[in-house]
Amino acid sequence: MTSDALLTDRRDRVLAAMADADLDVLVLGRQDDANFAAGMHRLWTAGTRPFGAGCIVVRSTGRTHVLSSWDAGLPATMSVDDLYPATWNPRIMAGYLAEVPGLSTARRIGVDEVSPSFARAAARIAPGATVVPADDVIAAARCRKAPEEIELIRQSCAVARMGVEAVLKDPSDGIARAIIAMAAQGATIPSSAPSARSLPDGFTIDIGVIVDGYEGGIGGRFIAAGRVSRSKLPAACRAGATHRDLTLAATDANWLVRGLGMGFEKPVMNTRLGTGQVLEQGMVLSVSDGEHRDVVLVTAGEPEVLSIARAEETVERRES
Amino acid sequence: MQRQDIEAAVLLHAPNVTYATGFVPDATDASHANYRRAVAIVPVAGPARLFAHPSVNADPTSLDVLAESELWPELDDGMPQLHRVLHESIGDLEGRRIAVDAVTGAMARAGILDGADLVDASRVVGPARLCKTEDEVACIERAQILNERAMEIARQHCVPGARRSDVAGALLAELRRLGSDHNEIDPIFQVMSRRRTDGVVTDVGEVAFPTGIEDPEFAEGDLVWVDGGHGYEGYASDYGRTWIVGRDPNREERDCFERWKSIMGATIASVRPGATLADVARAATDANDGTRPWLAHFYVGHAVGLDSAEMPMVGSDLGDEFDAGFVLAEGMILVLEPIVWLDGVASYRAEEIVVVTADGARVLTSSPGYWPYAGSDDRLVPS
Repeated sequence: MTSDALLTDRRDRVLAAMADADLDVLVLGRQDDANFAAGMHRLWTAGTRPFGAGCIVVRSTGRTHVLSSWDAGLPATMSVDDLYPATWNPRIMAGYLAEVPGLSTARRIGVDEVSPSFARAAARIAPGATVVPADDVIAAARCRKAPEEIELIRQSCAVARMGVEAVLKDPSDGIARAIIAMAAQGATIPSSAPSARSLPDGFTIDIGVIVDGYEGGIGGRFIAAGRVSRSKLPAACRAGATHRDLTLAATDANWLVRGLGMGFEKPVMNTRLGTGQVLEQGMVLSVSDGEHRDVVLVTAGEPEVLSIARAEETVERRES
Repeated sequence: MQRQDIEAAVLLHAPNVTYATGFVPDATDASHANYRRAVAIVPVAGPARLFAHPSVNADPTSLDVLAESELWPELDDGMPQLHRVLHESIGDLEGRRIAVDAVTGAMARAGILDGADLVDASRVVGPARLCKTEDEVACIERAQILNERAMEIARQHCVPGARRSDVAGALLAELRRLGSDHNEIDPIFQVMSRRRTDGVVTDVGEVAFPTGIEDPEFAEGDLVWVDGGHGYEGYASDYGRTWIVGRDPNREERDCFERWKSIMGATIASVRPGATLADVARAATDANDGTRPWLAHFYVGHAVGLDSAEMPMVGSDLGDEFDAGFVLAEGMILVLEPIVWLDGVASYRAEEIVVVTADGARVLTSSPGYWPYAGSDDRLVPS
């Protein structure tokens, strides 16, 4: 489970990024952004959601406020007074928001997405404020991973590997077996859509899963004895690596290097995107080269592949 | 769009894109869904243009829309291409009335929609989505039937010693075996306390549901509120039941279910074209001796379609005036979900999906089984 120290560290990273960007308030609609800033466990649903104020971070008070009608899942780093209840009624919601200390007097409000109706509501609730895009502010705060985050990602990768092993053990039942095996670890939330295609000599499999808020995944061509696909791209993901370095290392034109943490993150690089991007130490990346996919930690030296097993590794069943 | 003088819709929210184009994006974590968004651009004169990432689950070439290569509206790098296709479809945006459902940070930074008169796309797509066609109803019914079949397997795993995640795994695996790869919610199997104050409560002291955060180990006699939904062609199902772990219901539990059944029967009987949402809420309340049989933070009913909960909502905090002013019409869907709570004794919650027909309502289900309370031939209303 996520420690209180990590939750505090994440909130501090958000507050520091807000200070750098001169934001008084940050309104987060994306579940992953809200989870990063506040660390409150909430029901998972798939897919995009219309923008709404799911989490509000106020720089002057250092508080994170979360949309929830109850305190189940509330971390020790928050108080029940930091919650505002769910409502279907925009007028009632506007009233709740107006009561968040520091919101109505804000000068600059950052948002990770916006809708025309939220922009109008913000102008009424905080008449003196400018609403500015701040998805890049929270993305920057999330970019470099803390040691505990790296371990959480490593554990999620181990769960994804169990899914792959289950497919290989009972190929006739494919992804259903992977789902059951991962659920036995307490993991019932996918990140990407799982896939298993049978080949004459094995399987092409890709599995991504979210455990305790952090994503893990692995992909490639597998036979009963293990993974047989190879790629030089993970090893190229060194601090300072450029788009050109990755292009030269990739074997498949359909390569993708993207941030991985509490889900899909920045940076995003492929043949067309991220041409000005340089990799930095502390980034964790999902590195796809055709069907082959690894999760890689960018370090000062050799990149560390988090999606393959360490020799001594054991995964304990998750505590309830 | 014509009635509201809206010249184009720019759609980024998956259910809206699906409605406009038929394309169903993969059911993934929101972070993936956001970055790999499909985008639909719909000029008022048509045709809709679809920009979609390659999908594990769908074949965009089968669609009667212009399917084109993906856009990246989350990324600053994606803006030149988005700018180009918007201008191809709509031309100069200055002063034009454009409906949009999401403006990403990259779009705001690049000023992609600057100069346009922006309105919420819900004003366009919301009314269009209210009344379902026969095909849409068929998709919802198909989703519900598959959901019920998978839940039959899941409940066989809901035994003393099993964890929530094991039961969820059994459900999700069975959905997969039935050909569904579009699960929309981490399935809920929440153990309910018998006494309200023994469990988590809301800000107004009501039962907290669905919290969706714990992984309890089930024990004999646990009352489990069950809720799950997956999509067929993007159209959502909504399964809700109450299970008892490891034993048959006792008399109090059975009485609780019988009371729920009479409330559900009366509520369904109130659904017909011309009835208001207030009529439906009143029927539920009257059948519960004047007390509203639902939780204040929710409703006694909501629609289902490309979203798992969409308008109209019955008995929500939109208020009595809203309910009284909203008239049901043929093709509207309601998921009715009354709750009976006998504090300290037992509770019962289940859901049924009904479609408003020409002269009443039809329940969308293959077999409204209420295990372990009643068998699958136990009908709420004559079919």
